[in-house]
Amino acid sequence: MTRILAIEDDETTAREIVSELSRHGFSVEWVADGRQGLVRAVSGEFDAVTLDRMLPGVDGLTIVSVMRNAGIEAPVLMISALTEVDERVRGLRAGGDDYMTKPFASEEMAARLEVLLRRARPQARQTVLRVKDLELDLVTREVRRGGRELGLLPTEFKLLEFLMRNSGQVLTRTMIFEAIWGYHFDPGTNLIDVHLGRLRRKVDQPGLAPLIKTIRGSGYALNATS
Amino acid sequence: MRRPEIWRTTTFRLALVYGAVFAAGVVALLGLIYASAAVFLTHQMDEIVIGQARALQSVPAAALPEQMRQVETQDVRNVNFYGLFSRDGAWIAGNVRRLPADVPVNGVPRELRGPGFQPGARALAERLPSGDILFVGFDAKTLSGLRTIILASLIWSGALIIILGLSLGAALSLGPLRRIRAVQAASLPILDGDVSARLPTSNRRDEIDMLAGIANNMMDEVERLLWAVKSVGDNVAHDLRTPLTRLRALLYRVRQEAGEGDTHLVMLDQALGETDALLGRFKAIQRISEIDRRERRAGFADVRLQALVEEISDLYGPLAEDHGLTFSAETEAPCVIRADRELLFEALSNLVGNAVKFTPTGGAIRLKLVRLNEGPRLEIIDNGPGVPESERDAVLQRFYRGQNGREAPGSGLGLSIVAAVARLHDFRLALDDASPGLRVVLDCWPVAMSY
Repeated sequence: MTRILAIEDDETTAREIVSELSRHGFSVEWVADGRQGLVRAVSGEFDAVTLDRMLPGVDGLTIVSVMRNAGIEAPVLMISALTEVDERVRGLRAGGDDYMTKPFASEEMAARLEVLLRRARPQARQTVLRVKDLELDLVTREVRRGGRELGLLPTEFKLLEFLMRNSGQVLTRTMIFEAIWGYHFDPGTNLIDVHLGRLRRKVDQPGLAPLIKTIRGSGYALNATS
Repeated sequence: MRRPEIWRTTTFRLALVYGAVFAAGVVALLGLIYASAAVFLTHQMDEIVIGQARALQSVPAAALPEQMRQVETQDVRNVNFYGLFSRDGAWIAGNVRRLPADVPVNGVPRELRGPGFQPGARALAERLPSGDILFVGFDAKTLSGLRTIILASLIWSGALIIILGLSLGAALSLGPLRRIRAVQAASLPILDGDVSARLPTSNRRDEIDMLAGIANNMMDEVERLLWAVKSVGDNVAHDLRTPLTRLRALLYRVRQEAGEGDTHLVMLDQALGETDALLGRFKAIQRISEIDRRERRAGFADVRLQALVEEISDLYGPLAEDHGLTFSAETEAPCVIRADRELLFEALSNLVGNAVKFTPTGGAIRLKLVRLNEGPRLEIIDNGPGVPESERDAVLQRFYRGQNGREAPGSGLGLSIVAAVARLHDFRLALDDASPGLRVVLDCWPVAMSY
């Protein structure tokens, strides 16, 4: 079972994290104090860590940099009430893998953690991504479904690559926007939906089993089982 | 604003009034001196006239003409006048040939008027025991001399007072005027909305400093109130986001657990949508304050505007197309500026997003990068309904929605975010008429440089 360490001093937030991650089938250990959190984090017993930026005792930034210096490579999702862009940069520079601001939607937190876990999992160097009859060649940059070339535009290619690398995983619009375009604001409108819609028209042509699924109130998933 | 003029300053007016009062004082003083001197001199001359009349009376009547001749020859200054007249007024002796009509024969000196006499001359006429009339006059010409002197003094001192007063007034006004101009210059940014600017004060503690101090205190209060109003919004947004996020989480869970056939599904989706819209609005409010709070240039780096424009058209092209709009990006030449790339992208994204939102199907949106002498200019032009001139300032404020934008979705904060980004960069953001449509101009060079 995947083990998660949640370092969070606010009890309500902590309970939210624990229950959401448990629902996703993780075993979660909660630590409220920075000093103790640091000790648990460097123990190396965990597959991933959710880390509050501001903690009593030892600060979140210190914990993540100590972890990295100690050679602990488990992905760290930083959660902070500090919304400033500089804070995000600082968190990621210290060794965090992703940065969320409070308040957050718990399912997005879980989704982000799953993406981090998947990225951290040792993978054979793939040049071709495969999901069912969908094939994406990272070298030739060709995408085929059932052997038929789909002719994706560069953005569509990046989008599909991201979906395929995280197939089965719910990806929120914010996560998609951050991953593909690299910006961290709320683009509003149905901007991401439009891009997904275009990709879907090419990937899920009439007569084929739909691969890109819209998860109501949340985002998208490729080849989701549920 | 009107430029202050030197003759309108209080100092100058004070100098003028002071000069006038001083001149009046000088006139009064000289007048008093003249009057007192005249009284004194008249008295003196009267005594001389009486004395001489007495001396001549004591001379025997027969010797009188001879005596008068003698005295006349001794009078080198030609100040004495004598006349001896018979009972019926015929001349007998003396240098006065005719008895002046206005001198009564009573031995009392009085003023002697008449041709050949200076003003202030005194004379008396007296009947001798013989019945003849003795006339004695004295005209020292002192009083008229004094009058000339005083008049000349008045003219010269008056001219001096006027010249000195005017130049002193002007000189004294220059200092305050210079400071008022400094205050005026310092107030320009405040008028432009920079509530953190203050008026300059010196350490003289004079009335200008007092006024500037009062104005500065008022500005402190205005700034404090503005921040209070702003932070109320921010705090409300901040405090409401947490419970809203929890509410959304609950709704989401209910939505997940509801079966596909559930009749409440549509309502649940609507509730989720509304909650998301609310959250989006609060996020935007916080975002504006966050941008406003950002330290200037903290995230600044070289930004290639052409690449930015390409990214935007890549991101928004499909959206515009889905709305039945044509989207085109024109970049004249590569431009590199110092800016916060993320924020600039966010601003452009909001502007293009707005254009897509408000342009009706069939319209066109153009994103242009133009290179001007001062620097690069970004233009977003649509042929939608545009924004009436009267509303152009207001739409940059928080929450404002144009009359024809009421039904469009969104937080109504997009342009405020753009304005905040422009403020941070000190770029000029302006809305123009594209007839028809709206042209949004973002001048990517510091406004401060244009002055």
